Amino acid sequence: MAASGPDERLLPIAILIDELKNDEAVRRLNSIQRLGTIALALGEERTRGELIPFLTESNDDEDEVLLAMAEELGKFVPYVGGPAHAHELLPPLENLSQVEETVVRDMAVESLCKVGEKLPVKGVAEHLVPLIKRLAGGEWFTSRVSSCGLFTVAYPRLPADTRAELRQLYSQLCHDETPMVRRAAAQKLGSFAGAVEKDLVAKELLPLFTDLTADEQDSVRLLAVESCGAFATALGSDGCRASMLPVVQKFAADKSWRVRYNVAQQLVALCEALGAETTRSDLLPAFVKLLRDPEAEVRVAAAGKVAAFSKLLTPALIVSEITPCVKELANDSSQFVRAALAGVAMELAPQLGRGPTIEHLLPVFLALLKDPFPDVRLNVISKLDQVNAVIGVDLLAQSLLPAIEELAEDKHWRVRLAILEHIPLLAGQLGAEFFQEKLGPQCMKWLEDQVASIREAATTALQKIAREFGRDWTREHLVPPVVAMVRNPHYLYRMTVLSAVAALAGAVPGDVLRGTLLPAAVACCRDKVPNVRFNAAKVLQRMAPLLDRSALEGSVKPALRELADDGDADVRFFAAQALWGCDHPNAA
Amino acid sequence: MAGNSELDRWIEQLKRCEPLREHEVKVLCQKALEVLVEESNVQRVDAPVTVCGDIHGQFYDLMELFQVGGDCPATNYLFMGDFVDRGFYSVETFLLLLALKVRYPDRITLIRGNHESRQITQVYGFYDECLRKYGSVNVWRYCTDVFDYLSLSAVIDGEIFCVHGGLSPTVTSLDQIRAIDRKQEVPHDGAMCDLLWSDPEDIEGWGLSPRGAGYLFGGDVASQFNQANKVSLIARAHQLVMDGYKWMFHDQLVTVWSAPNYCYRCGNIAAILELDEHLNKNFKVFEAAPQEARGAQSKRATPEYFL
Ligand SMILES: [Mn+2]
Repeated sequence: MAASGPDERLLPIAILIDELKNDEAVRRLNSIQRLGTIALALGEERTRGELIPFLTESNDDEDEVLLAMAEELGKFVPYVGGPAHAHELLPPLENLSQVEETVVRDMAVESLCKVGEKLPVKGVAEHLVPLIKRLAGGEWFTSRVSSCGLFTVAYPRLPADTRAELRQLYSQLCHDETPMVRRAAAQKLGSFAGAVEKDLVAKELLPLFTDLTADEQDSVRLLAVESCGAFATALGSDGCRASMLPVVQKFAADKSWRVRYNVAQQLVALCEALGAETTRSDLLPAFVKLLRDPEAEVRVAAAGKVAAFSKLLTPALIVSEITPCVKELANDSSQFVRAALAGVAMELAPQLGRGPTIEHLLPVFLALLKDPFPDVRLNVISKLDQVNAVIGVDLLAQSLLPAIEELAEDKHWRVRLAILEHIPLLAGQLGAEFFQEKLGPQCMKWLEDQVASIREAATTALQKIAREFGRDWTREHLVPPVVAMVRNPHYLYRMTVLSAVAALAGAVPGDVLRGTLLPAAVACCRDKVPNVRFNAAKVLQRMAPLLDRSALEGSVKPALRELADDGDADVRFFAAQALWGCDHPNAA
Repeated sequence: MAGNSELDRWIEQLKRCEPLREHEVKVLCQKALEVLVEESNVQRVDAPVTVCGDIHGQFYDLMELFQVGGDCPATNYLFMGDFVDRGFYSVETFLLLLALKVRYPDRITLIRGNHESRQITQVYGFYDECLRKYGSVNVWRYCTDVFDYLSLSAVIDGEIFCVHGGLSPTVTSLDQIRAIDRKQEVPHDGAMCDLLWSDPEDIEGWGLSPRGAGYLFGGDVASQFNQANKVSLIARAHQLVMDGYKWMFHDQLVTVWSAPNYCYRCGNIAAILELDEHLNKNFKVFEAAPQEARGAQSKRATPEYFL
C-alpha cells in the first residue's frame, strides 16, 4: 500500500536524514520508518555517534512519529554493532518510555525488553538495572508505570543481592500511591512471578498479590485477577490451593461487576491450574454464582464458559449443578446472554451422553432455536452436528426439524445461509427418503431466494446432496424441478438455474446430461438478456470436460460460435474464452 | 495499458479491500477516462439493471450489497453517485467500482454524486484517506480527474430517469442536460450543480435548499418533468432514508439509499432497486455487514468528518 515514489534504495541518504527534521510530520514518519536503511548507510560507528544521540534528543514529536521510533529502535541492536553496544540504545528508549502517550510508552517498554534480552550479563547489572531504578523512582507516574514491565527481563540474569533489591523495588511499586502504577504492577506480577525463585514467590510475592487483590480501586483488582492464572502456575500446585483458593473465591464475590466479569473470563484457566478435584469441591459454587450474577455482562462471560468449565466436572455434577442454570439462562432477559449460551450449549451434549441430553438439554436447544434474536438461532444451528452425534438422527429430526423448517425461511439471510450450509450434512444423516419428504422442497425454494448468495449456496448444496444420494436419485428427484425453473421471467433466477444445471452435470447419468441438462444450457444461449447468454457460455465451458466428442462438436461448440459473434462485448468475450477452454481442456 | 487479466487481478485484490499501488491507480484512471468520455450526460441504460444509492466509502457494506444483489458482471448495476467520503474505505470502494466499470463498461454504470468533487472530498474524508494511505495526494488527483468525466444522469429503457440529487429549475428537458459541458469541477450553481444537489420536498414548485446548493422541488415539478420527458419515474439517492427507500409524489419519484448504518451509527437499513427485464420493480433491503465480515477494521477513533 506504500507509495511508490522513486526507488527508495537510490534515494540519497542525506535526504532521509534531512527528512528526519522536516516540518511535515508525514515526512518525518516516513523517514523514521526507514531508520534501519539510514543506519545501514551510516555504518555502526556513526549510528552510535550521531544518529542515536540525535534520536535521544528528538523525543518531542507527534505521537505517531514517536511510536514508529520506539518500534524501530527495538530492532536496532544489529545496527549499533551487536550486543556489546546494545546498551547505547537504552537512552532514547528510556526517554520514550516516559512520554505522555500510553501507546508510545508501551511500545518503548516492549523495545526495551527486546534490547534488554540482547544485553550481555554484565550489561544487565551495569545499564539495565540503573535504568529500572531511575524509572521506578521517577517523579511522574508514567515512568514508574513503564518500569513495571522491565523486571522480568532483568531478574534472571542478576546476582542474588541485586535480585533482592529488585524484589524490594517491585514491592514499592505494588504499594505506589498512584493507582495507575499499582495497576501496572498488578498486570505484570504474573510474568514477574514466573521469573522469581519458587520459594520466594510464596514468601515475598504472594503477600503483594494478596494486597493487590484487596486494593481499594476496582481497576487494580481487575488486573490482579488477570494475573491469577500466571501467578498460580508460578506458585506450583502445592502452594497454590491453600493460598489462591480464598483469593479466587473472594474475587468471584467482588462488589465490582467488572472484577466478577474478569473472574468469569479467567475461571477456566484457573480451574485448570488448581485441578479438577478443587474445581468440583470449591470452585463450582463460585461458578454457579457467576452464572446467576445480577449483571448481564457477567452472565454473558460465564455462560460462554459453561462447556469448558463442565469438562472438569462429572456428568452427575453437570446435571445437578449446571443444567438448572442452563435452563434459566436459555430464558435470560438479555439476548447477549442467550447468544453466548447458544454458542456453547451444544458442546454439553457429548459430555452428558444420550439420556441426560434428551431429558435436560433438548428442551433448551428447542427454546434457543425459537429465540427472537437471530444470533442465538444461528449459534445453535452451526453446532447441530454435535447434538446429532449424541441423540441420533431420528430424535433430532422429530424434535428439531420443525424448528429448522421455520428457520429455513428466517427473514435474516445469514440465518437462512447457516441452515442451508448444514443441509447436505443433515441430508446424509437423514437419508434420501426423509430428505425428499422434508427438505427437498425447501432446497428448491432456496434456488429462488431473494438474496444472491443464498441462491448460489443452494446450487452448491444441491451438488453435495446429489453426490450423497447418487445418479439415479438425482435424475429422478433433482433434475426435473431444476430444469422446470429455467422459464423464470427474471434473468437473475434463470442464471441461478444455469449454475444449478452446471452443478448437477457431474452427478447425473450420461443420458440425462446429454438429453436434459445440456439442451437446457444451450437454450440459454438464445436468452434475450446478455448476462444469461454469457453465463450460459461459462456453464458450457464447465460442462465440456464431461461431454463426449459428438456432443461437444454437435451442440456445445456451434452454440458458442454463435455467441462469439454476439452483439454484446461481454458475451463475445466469455464465448471466446469458453471455446478456447473446450479446445484446451487441460489448460485450466 | 491495462489488459483484461490485469484488470481481473486488480478487481480480485480490491474485493479483499487491498488498495492498488499508486502507479496502478494512475493506469486505471487513465483507462477510465477513455471509457467515460464516450458516455452521454444522460446515459442510456438497458434493463435489467439494479439501481443503487449512496455508498460513501462503506466498503464492507458494498460487499454486503453484492452478496444480496449478486456479483457484477452477473448482475447489471447502476450506482447513482456518492461513492466516497465519510466511510473508512473510500479509496478501495471507488477503485473497485471504477475497475469494474473499465472491465465491464456495459454491465455497470456510474453517475456523479455531489461528493465526487475536489472541494467536498477535501472536507469529508476522501482527501485525508488518500494522503494517509499513499503518503501523497496523487491518487486523490487521479480520482478527482475521473470524477469530472462521470455522467450526470441515466435513463433506463426510456422509462426511468436516474440522477443523484434531483431536478433543476433551468432544466425542463433531457436535451438540456445533454447540452451541459460536464467535464469540470461541480459548479456552485446552475443546472449541473442542481442535478447533484437538489432534494424533493412536499411543497409546490421550487424552494430554497437548506444545503446551500441545489433546490427543493415539489410533486408538481416532478410530474411536469416526467410528462415532458415521457418517463414514468425519477430514481435518485442523496438523502438518508431509514428504510432504505422511500416513494414520493404518488410513485413518481423514489429515493434509494445503499449505505446501511450510515457513518457506522445511523441505524438505518439500506436498499437497492432491482429492475428485471420487464421493468418489474423489486426493492431488496439489507443491513450492515456483521463484524466478523469486516476484517480487521481500523481501531482509530472516529474521524471528525463523521456527521
Ligand atoms: Mn449526496
